[in-house]
Amino acid sequence: MSASFRRSAAAIALAAVLLALVPLVTGSFVVHVLTIALYYVILAASWNLLAGYTGQFSLAHHAFAAIGAYTSGLMGYHLGVSPWIGIPCGVVLSAICGLILGRLVLKMRAIYLAIATWAFAETFHIYLTADYKFTRGELGLSVKSLYGTTNPVPYYYTFIVLAVLVLLGLRLLIDSPIGYFMRAIKDDELRAKSLGIDTTRVKIAVFAISSAIAGLAGGFYGHYVVLLSPQMIDFSEMAKIVVMVVIGGFGTFLGPIVGAAPVQVVMTYLQSYGEWNLAVFALIVIVLMRFSMEGLASLFTPLWKRVWHLK
Amino acid sequence: MTSALEAIGLRKRFGTLQAANDVTLSVDAGEIRGLIGPNGAGKTTLVNLLTGVYAPDSGEVKLGGRTISGLAMHEIARRGLVRSFQVTRLFGNQTVRENLMTAFYARRPANVDGEAAAERMIRLTTLGPLADTQAKKLSGGQRALLQMGCGFMVPGSCYVLDEPFAGINPVIKETILEMIVAVNREQGAAFLVVSHEMAIIRQLCPQVTVMMEGRVAAQGTLDEVARLPAVIAGYLGKALE
Repeated sequence: MSASFRRSAAAIALAAVLLALVPLVTGSFVVHVLTIALYYVILAASWNLLAGYTGQFSLAHHAFAAIGAYTSGLMGYHLGVSPWIGIPCGVVLSAICGLILGRLVLKMRAIYLAIATWAFAETFHIYLTADYKFTRGELGLSVKSLYGTTNPVPYYYTFIVLAVLVLLGLRLLIDSPIGYFMRAIKDDELRAKSLGIDTTRVKIAVFAISSAIAGLAGGFYGHYVVLLSPQMIDFSEMAKIVVMVVIGGFGTFLGPIVGAAPVQVVMTYLQSYGEWNLAVFALIVIVLMRFSMEGLASLFTPLWKRVWHLK
Repeated sequence: MTSALEAIGLRKRFGTLQAANDVTLSVDAGEIRGLIGPNGAGKTTLVNLLTGVYAPDSGEVKLGGRTISGLAMHEIARRGLVRSFQVTRLFGNQTVRENLMTAFYARRPANVDGEAAAERMIRLTTLGPLADTQAKKLSGGQRALLQMGCGFMVPGSCYVLDEPFAGINPVIKETILEMIVAVNREQGAAFLVVSHEMAIIRQLCPQVTVMMEGRVAAQGTLDEVARLPAVIAGYLGKALE
């Protein structure tokens, strides 16, 4: 285990312990908000792997979460399959779809990739709405809850465990040779190839991995909220993930972790302002971007270095 | 003598421009060959054809006697054909050390400690104080040194260097020169060096190939080719001192 992994693991463990204490002191609404925030931490971190580290600015990440959620939801609804089988199936299907989409957009750069992935997401969105006999469309697909209760506490702990596992896995991946290759591809793909890196394989693999993680988060999310709708693939969902990562720190490990939770919490409490929600939120984004282009993560860097006595 | 790298009848056309026109060239094992010629003669096109950036319209490239035409760039690199770029290409957001490690992982040799190799290369390139600095913050000369260091992280059988001495100060030039000579002597690696620096070419390359207008115009020692009227008229401007 590298020193970088041990440091990150220690910080993640500390954060997890602190979060685990929250239900002891607060009510169930706060726990619910934090559960959803953890769901977005996983989505933001896995999208950051694809966009922030590898430079593939996909706008289909929310669709992969929906693939995970709907796979398990539909298997349960039509076939009575247990979530514990449905969720892994959703992960596999998300990974396969990620693999295919990753292959399709392989040669595309920046804005073209963004548009193509967005089109993929919209197609899936339209399918979910149109094939309502199968997916229940806008009526909503009711899904069994994972623990047979709507009390958020057990789900909250589940998402803490999921987030910890995903973040540790991502840390390992980023510190591995593949992590070096990912950042190399983002900086200069031609040079990466000239050094002997099979950039095709790396890009597709990262697409599949990040999609699988989104599918995992989506699967558990579905069995928590118990009612799925095509709203999951609304563009505002994707925008939210992007905003979380950009505010937290694009292409940094800490970024999505410190970006996702505050954004989700603020958005939840701004909901009572209706349409003003987005406007207020846009203002916050502008102010934050004005003062810290590198995101919230950069505020933590000096502290992080002092704690571990780094250069 | 076996050829380390061989180009046979390479042709490449871009629109109306015949950038490479029946280029045949061979670099012997252990040889350091110079590749000179005026701007636009097709030198970089040839480098790109050799290393798989472009597929030739016709012709063949052989590395160590085995054809590599049609292979993907990364496969060619893994077979031991290493290149540097005229406009230095590095991973700007990676530190000096990370750039070296990426180069190491890319062609990861068995039973070699990458971190120790990176440490050695940092010493060799005299980039020690900048080891944890992002490559985008380096000066031009330091970038050239680092690019060269990345190329030498994992031993290759043949190196194609596109203007490794362009626009850098004499001290760094000397360091790069020493690195090339050391790798050539110690590993017996072959080199094809594109350069306009005649003094360095004379010092480094017993044999040179001259390219003009997409063709091989002449081959021989630098002094031999520098006497040819066509080479003087089309490239050098006047005879070499």
